[in-house]
Amino acid sequence: MKKIAVLFVMFGLISFGSNAQKASVADQVEIKTSAVCGMCKKRIERDLGLTKGIESANLNLDDKVVTVKFNPKKTNAAKIKQQISKIGYDADEVVANQKSHDALPDCCQKTAKAHVD
Amino acid sequence: MKNIKILVFILLASADLMAQNVQGTVRDKSSAGLPGVMVHWKGETAGTVFSDEKGQFSIAKKTDNQFLVFKMLGYSPDTVLVSGDGPLTIILKEETSDLNEVVVKTRASSIDALSPLHTEIINAKTLAKAACCNLSESFETNASVSVNYADAVTGSKQIQLLGLSGLYVQSNIENIPSIRGLASTFGLNFVPGTWIQSIDLVKGTGSVVNGFESMIGAMNVELQKPDNSEKLYLNIYANHLGRGEVNLNLSRKLTPKWSVGLLTHGSALKTNIDNNGDGFLDLPKYDQVNILNRWKYSGERFMAQFGVKMLRDTRMGGQKGFESRGSTPGLYGFTNKTNRVEFFSKTAKLFPEKPYRGLGLILNGTWHDSESYFGFKPYLATQKSFYSNLIYQDIFGTTMHTYKTGLSFQADNYDEKYGAILLKRNELIPGAFFEYTYNYLDKTVLVAGIRSDYHSIFGNQISPRIHFKQEVGKNDTWRVSFGKGFRVPNPLAEYFGNLVSSRQVVFVDPIAPEVSWSLGTSWIKNMGKYTISGELYHTRFEKQQIADMEHPGYIYFYGLDGKSRTTSALIELNYGPSNNWEFKAAYRFIDSKQTLGKPNGENVLVEKMFLNRDRVLLNAAYALPYDKWKFDLTLQWNGKRRIPNASPTYDHMSYQNMPYETAPAFANLNGQITRTFVNWDIYLGGENLTNFKQKNPIFDPGNPFGGNFDAGMAWGPVVGITVYSGVRYKIR
Repeated sequence: MKKIAVLFVMFGLISFGSNAQKASVADQVEIKTSAVCGMCKKRIERDLGLTKGIESANLNLDDKVVTVKFNPKKTNAAKIKQQISKIGYDADEVVANQKSHDALPDCCQKTAKAHVD
Repeated sequence: MKNIKILVFILLASADLMAQNVQGTVRDKSSAGLPGVMVHWKGETAGTVFSDEKGQFSIAKKTDNQFLVFKMLGYSPDTVLVSGDGPLTIILKEETSDLNEVVVKTRASSIDALSPLHTEIINAKTLAKAACCNLSESFETNASVSVNYADAVTGSKQIQLLGLSGLYVQSNIENIPSIRGLASTFGLNFVPGTWIQSIDLVKGTGSVVNGFESMIGAMNVELQKPDNSEKLYLNIYANHLGRGEVNLNLSRKLTPKWSVGLLTHGSALKTNIDNNGDGFLDLPKYDQVNILNRWKYSGERFMAQFGVKMLRDTRMGGQKGFESRGSTPGLYGFTNKTNRVEFFSKTAKLFPEKPYRGLGLILNGTWHDSESYFGFKPYLATQKSFYSNLIYQDIFGTTMHTYKTGLSFQADNYDEKYGAILLKRNELIPGAFFEYTYNYLDKTVLVAGIRSDYHSIFGNQISPRIHFKQEVGKNDTWRVSFGKGFRVPNPLAEYFGNLVSSRQVVFVDPIAPEVSWSLGTSWIKNMGKYTISGELYHTRFEKQQIADMEHPGYIYFYGLDGKSRTTSALIELNYGPSNNWEFKAAYRFIDSKQTLGKPNGENVLVEKMFLNRDRVLLNAAYALPYDKWKFDLTLQWNGKRRIPNASPTYDHMSYQNMPYETAPAFANLNGQITRTFVNWDIYLGGENLTNFKQKNPIFDPGNPFGGNFDAGMAWGPVVGITVYSGVRYKIR
């Protein structure tokens, strides 16, 4: 049983350790995207959230602006825009990667009208 | 078809109103908040708002419009009449495109809040917690299901639910009875984990619609569908013992209506592992190839899917150095070759203008062939099966009163040969069923069903079942189930692991159906971050096939003559202090007794073997947003259990006051770490980290052709710590 207790403690420490990473100083950038709907929002937030150096991403569907918090030591605004382009969306002056854009579901493509699903 | 049910219920909670806004929360049926749901007034998409991470929304009130529309991809849209001033609670149901009860969810594991049956949903996310590897290994983090270690040689696994064998759980794959008959030996090993979309586990008797065999529970496994899964999903897995797996799922949308999917699996273990030094391989060497090809058409008025499944599994175990019966005749070997081909089709006629109406037909044909040798003793078995189920559903007046009715037909042809024992059976079972559902706002739901099945050998069987759900206040749900079920056993396939022994198989009585009544109740209490649930189930057998292993050297199969009853209780606490943490603690108690003694002309109520009375499960999970890092740790503690008396001097004379032997309690720890990237995951995990091993899982391993040899007595893990790692790559 001792072994188990030790493992549980280790587990806790590891988790807190990774939690502590979040406490670093973050920069923030706002980028206008070509997102269309809720699906786009989910996709952009998840993919950015899992990208190196990015701590959080929040897209406002009213003005299509994504607010990204990131660690300036690991990434920068230009890289983040490139990443958004790779996901398939315009990011300010950076145009969406055509291949990624075409792979998006029809409802998320730039030609899609504002829609309700 | 879920669409027929009322899609939402509105809780007009305490008036906490803001004059200008309509506020509320959108949830899925597990009560988890649904983020990103589009909310707008009917006919006016301007001013659309979205629900936040918790599923909460707030939209400006309109004087001229009272209908709010809720939409989200993958969920059925819903329109709600806003009356009253309190905050709304809207439950969106997952969109389903055929008669299946498909469930896709984001939360790890939960109780289906809408179902009147006590249904646990295990989704792909939970399955990913314990990466390895197939259906038999999918219940590691589940408190109610435990996996039995059947024997120390063949690698076959069986589950146990509510203190009874998984044989009494109707195990369907996409509503087709699949893990039954000869497939009950290795069937759970034949469903690769990466193919699974979700598992629904009903405790207590199941619905009459899906068949007569759900005596104590029902499990339905939904596999990945071509129209809503990744274009490509590749999984590679390896463990330090040398087991390797490759899973590749492909899906393609051909036209807006047609899609095609291919699920493939290949795995093998080719190393000789004998860590306990008894001369026997701890795990059989094996290889498996498993393929499923499915075509799906989904139109507005017609749905169809059909496909073919093919499986080939070869395994070899026994004494180290065994090559074949011819080349190494002095060594004991176990070999098995299984080939299985299956065809299925599911079609449904829909009525878009009357969404509560539906007509569905399921067809399935299976050929299963298994060739095994236990030492020099052959067991050759073939099963040919055909299954069809025709279901019609409609309402009486309003959707408060719905019904399902239909006809089923099951045909099974068994041809088994074990040594000199020949078992041949041809069963034809036409059946009819009717199930009525009363549903008052999803708060009070009553399901009353009855089915009648005419078995060509054993005559007519009537199975009535009743399920009831009542929501008490906002946070409590009470469920009751009661009903009857039956099945026809296949003793050799079901006690396959016990055949790796010198035990002589004796059929005291011919094979006869097993009939049981099961009564159960559960109470679930939601208290914000805490969920507490308590369950109590009791099963009594009217008729049962007993496998008696009290006499060393024999397995007696005979019909129950007296009582057989099992009671199980479970109490489970779930605690989610934050979005990152989740904890689970559960305690399960079982009391199971059977009447044994026919071989001696006695009738004695005896505690069931190989069953531990107590079990504790603790699970802790930690995840960063988007599961960037995910940690999972599960501890199981299994109490003492009765095992056969193996003392060489033991002479079994009477069932009265038998000397009992007990196996010790043991704990088991599993853990996994997963790192998620945009398109791929990588995981590292360990099983049995406490390194507990049953000391002598095989009796008399030095003398396998002698009279005391028995490898069917495993009650605990045979291999120690197992470390594994793997990657998952997805193209969406």
